[in-house]
Amino acid sequence: MKRAPLQRWGGQLLQARSRAAMAAPAARQPFAASLHRHASSAAATHSPADDIPAESLRSPLPSPRPNRAAESAKLAALHARLSLSNKIPLETLARALVVPSADVNASFNNSNLAFLGSTFINYHVLEYLAVKWPRLPMTILYEALRAYAGKESLHQIARRWGVEAAAAPGEEVDPGLLQWKPQESGLQTRWGYVRAEAVHFDRFEPRRGISSRVVMDDEFGDTLQAPKTGPEAFKFYQDEAYGSFVQAVVGSIYTHCGREATRDFVQSHILSRQIDLSSMFQFQLPTRELAMLCAREGFSSPIARLESETGRLSRTPVFVVGIYSGSEKLGEGSGPSLNIARWKASMNALKAWYMYSPGNKVRVPSDMFEEDAKPWKAPHIDIGEII
Amino acid sequence: MEFRALARPAVRLLNTSPATTLPLVAVRGHKTTARTKRSLKIAPHDSFLPNRQIAFPAADSIIYNPPSSEASPEHTPFIFLPSNDARRAAFTRLRHIANSPAAPKKVSELPKEVEYKRRTPSYHLGAEDIKEMKRLRNEDPFKWTSYALAEKFQCSSVFVRMAAPAPAEYLKALKDKAERREGRWGHIRTKAREDRKRRTDLLYRGEM
Repeated sequence: MKRAPLQRWGGQLLQARSRAAMAAPAARQPFAASLHRHASSAAATHSPADDIPAESLRSPLPSPRPNRAAESAKLAALHARLSLSNKIPLETLARALVVPSADVNASFNNSNLAFLGSTFINYHVLEYLAVKWPRLPMTILYEALRAYAGKESLHQIARRWGVEAAAAPGEEVDPGLLQWKPQESGLQTRWGYVRAEAVHFDRFEPRRGISSRVVMDDEFGDTLQAPKTGPEAFKFYQDEAYGSFVQAVVGSIYTHCGREATRDFVQSHILSRQIDLSSMFQFQLPTRELAMLCAREGFSSPIARLESETGRLSRTPVFVVGIYSGSEKLGEGSGPSLNIARWKASMNALKAWYMYSPGNKVRVPSDMFEEDAKPWKAPHIDIGEII
Repeated sequence: MEFRALARPAVRLLNTSPATTLPLVAVRGHKTTARTKRSLKIAPHDSFLPNRQIAFPAADSIIYNPPSSEASPEHTPFIFLPSNDARRAAFTRLRHIANSPAAPKKVSELPKEVEYKRRTPSYHLGAEDIKEMKRLRNEDPFKWTSYALAEKFQCSSVFVRMAAPAPAEYLKALKDKAERREGRWGHIRTKAREDRKRRTDLLYRGEM
C-alpha cells in the first residue's frame, strides 16, 4: 500500500501514536490500575495479582482499538461501498466512526477529521448555492445550506451508506459500527460567539437580525445552545453523530487524497441531492413586496389582470390572475377567489425573481484549481433582497 | 321539492280569490340550523369525483393538484433577467422579429384588470396637518379614531396610525374590548377564526 505524502496540515491528524505513549494517559487509564501495574512490575515477591494478566485488570477502553480495524468485515465493506481510494487506510475509517460522545480523547475520536470535513462540505455547498441562485435571500440561503449540509441531511446520507450504530460504544464492539452516546461530549464541536444578551434569554426574546447572524452565529445562522436534555436530545445527538461521520469521511479524503478527490466526493454524495427551493419561501405582504421590487428596479408598478375564470357563482370557482408590469408578465396564480389568486400570482412573481439562476451548469470558484481551466468569468452578483 | 315547484304556478293560476296572508300550498322554510345546512349541502362538481363509468379496476382517476399547467417560479420572466444573462440577448433578438409569438402584447390587448380596493397616494398632507392630526388624536382618541381622522384629512387610516399613533391607554382599552368580545365567542366561532388564520398562513407559505 502506498503512503500519501503527509505535507498537508491535515497530516498531523494521522500520527499513529500508541496508547501507552500518550502524554496524558489518565483519561484512558484509571490511576489505580496504572499504580497497580507499576507496583506489580517493581515487586520482587510473587503476589496473586501477577497471575492475572494485566489486560484484564485495567478498565475497558471507551472505543475499539485502532489495530482491530483490519479484522472488521463491516469496515472493509463500508470502505468498498463508498469506493474510497486505497490511500485511505481502514484505521482512519474506523476512527471516523468514533464520535466524541463515545470517546472524548481527541487522538482517537473523529472530532478533528469532522471539523476539517465540515469546512470542505460547507465551502463547496455555499459556493454552489451562491453561484447557482445569486438572488436568494439570506434566510433562504441558510436553509438551503442546511438542506444540503445540515446534520439532519448528513444523517440521511450516512444511513444510505449503510452505517449502523453500536448498541453501546466500547472496546469489544465491532469497529465497523458507529460509536456514539446520546449525550453531550464536552468537546467543543460547534463554532460561534456567545451573545452578550444570552443571559437574558429566559426573560425576553431579543431581536436577532440577519447581519448579526452572519457575524455571531454558526454556519447555519443558529445561536450556540445549551446541551440538550429530554426527549429531543436523542434525535439531536443521533443526527450529530451520524453527521460527524460523513464530515469525518470527507476530512479523511482530503487528508489522504487531496482537494480534487474531496470536491468530487462532495459533488457526488452531497450536492447531487435535490432540494425544492420554492417551498422554502414564506411571505408576509407579497403584493407590497412586489410593488417595492418594481419601484426599486425601475419597472412600472405591477397590475393584476384576470386571465381566465370559471364558475364564479358556483361552489368551486377558479380564477387565474396574472401580474403585469406594463406589458410584461411577471407571474401567474390561480385560486378560489380573486384576492387569493392575486396574492399567489404576486408570490410566484417574487419567487421567480429570487430564484433566478444563470443556468444548470455553473462554474464555481473552485473549478479554477483545475489544470488548464478557462479564464474566470465573474458570476452575477445581486444587489440584495427587497426590504 | 319537485312537486312543490310544479304545483306553485298552477296554484297561482287557480287562485282567483283576493290575496290572503296564508298561502294555499304550505311552503316550509328551513327553520333550524340542521335543515338549513342540509339544504345548502351541494354535491361537488362531477370533475372532482372519481369516474364511475369504467369497471372497478380501471376506475382510478388521478387529479393533479397543482395542475401541470400551473405557472412555475422556475421560469424567470424576461424583465427579471439581468443584463449580463445570455438569455436576455437571445430573447431581445427574438422579440424584434415581425409577428414573433415571443413579442410582448400591447397593453390594449392584455386581459382586463382585476378590480380591488386600492388607493393612489396623493401626498397632500404637510407637517401642519400631521401636527393637527396628532393634536386631535391626543385630545379625544375615542372621538377621533383613525377612521374619523382619515375621513377628515382625506388619507388612509394606515397613514393615520403611522403618523399619529393613538395613546397607549386608548390602545389598551381597544384591546380589552376586543378580548371581552372574543371571550363571548363559542367554540365554533373561535375555531372558525383559528382555521381562517391557519389557511392564510398556508397561503403565504405557498402550500394552498
